[in-house]
Amino acid sequence: MATSKHVRIGKGISWVALIVGVALGLAAGLVYTWEIDPVIERNTAPWQLSDAAREDYVVAVALSYAANQDLLLAVDRLRAAGPNRNVWEMVAEIACDRVKTGKTISNSDIRVIRALEQLYAPQGASGCADGLYPTPAPMVFSTPEPVMSPTPTLVPPPSKTPTLPPPTPVTAGDVRLTNTPAAGVYVLGRLQSFCDPDQSGVIEVRVYDRRGEGVPGVPVTVTWSGSERDSFFTGLKAEREAGYADFVMEAGRTYTVSLPGLASSSPVVEAVPCTAQDGRRATTSYWVNFQERAN
Amino acid sequence: MAGQDAGWSLMSRRTLGSLLVGILLGLSTGVFLGWGPFPVEYKNSALSALAPHYQEEYTVMVAEGYRVDPEVNAALERLRPLGKENTIAYVIDLTERYISQSNIRAIPIMVALVEAIIGPDNLPPVMQLYRPTPTATSPAPPAP
Repeated sequence: MATSKHVRIGKGISWVALIVGVALGLAAGLVYTWEIDPVIERNTAPWQLSDAAREDYVVAVALSYAANQDLLLAVDRLRAAGPNRNVWEMVAEIACDRVKTGKTISNSDIRVIRALEQLYAPQGASGCADGLYPTPAPMVFSTPEPVMSPTPTLVPPPSKTPTLPPPTPVTAGDVRLTNTPAAGVYVLGRLQSFCDPDQSGVIEVRVYDRRGEGVPGVPVTVTWSGSERDSFFTGLKAEREAGYADFVMEAGRTYTVSLPGLASSSPVVEAVPCTAQDGRRATTSYWVNFQERAN
Repeated sequence: MAGQDAGWSLMSRRTLGSLLVGILLGLSTGVFLGWGPFPVEYKNSALSALAPHYQEEYTVMVAEGYRVDPEVNAALERLRPLGKENTIAYVIDLTERYISQSNIRAIPIMVALVEAIIGPDNLPPVMQLYRPTPTATSPAPPAP
């Protein structure tokens, strides 16, 4: 009988056909489940995230670590995001990318860079963001300490007929009217940083009334390092704007800008390094606008 | 000749039958493997595709980061990629769930963020107990 071996082996089963069938069926099954009707995407782990999403995730890890200082927890979270790589280098790369892509505009961005560096730098990793935004020294509020003087000096008694100093003549030109507002009149309208090497580290303050016109004569106070302060008035540079005043910061310091009658909290700005679009380095400057409340 | 034809017919039927049986076996195995042990593994996923456990952990991390970067809008921006229809409602719901679960570690962190987002006056009563800085009128936290 002329029958081939593969046709009749065992109990009427063609093993070759069976194997070919299994292979075809398996391939078809996998094509269907992987391509045509795959499992709905959920229960994704952090290592499956895209680069952008992983950056968000790592930023959150860094900020969380900056708050709780729990390094083991941070490592576990980072390993979930990059199981097969050096997690510290991953963090350093993300910090570097954020600097390169200009994500250093706001104070929030700068805090993120600091948090990332705080995470990777102590672990020996390094990147192009190293040291760009050093954490400012903590402000120290100096409180005068009482000094005991062992031998108090007696104050001589006042003379019975004090001599009054001659009155200083006041001319109308010397009187400077200040525009001190009542409490709760102004709110912070705008706080934005910019990088301009020609105006490096400048706080540009503008005060507007409810109609949007500049208000001159408003005293502005800038404080830094806890006890250092400087006060000046808007409108002294009338060639700019009526409600304009500016202040030049010292690099690396944190400044608080306030004015009387401010209803919102006083904005805090930091004189951190920045790179302008033309590549020149400068210190970050700020626009700080205060707006009179509508009612 | 007739015997040979019958042989070929028998052979082709057996071959066809074996092939069909094989295809059915392979197909069922492939579907089982493709949906079961070896499903599609997605890469380049968005934060919105994270497993709920990771999404919640991410939210707590963002809330904790608010202590370092106290800017509410920045925190909300970080939560936006989670793709929730209402990010604020999601944060409040998660916080209430943590309170119901007595998640001691996460509760004050989340309550602080909720307070920053909706304001202390709008804080739900159940969260008032866990405010980081309770007001004088706030009731005292329950005794452990």
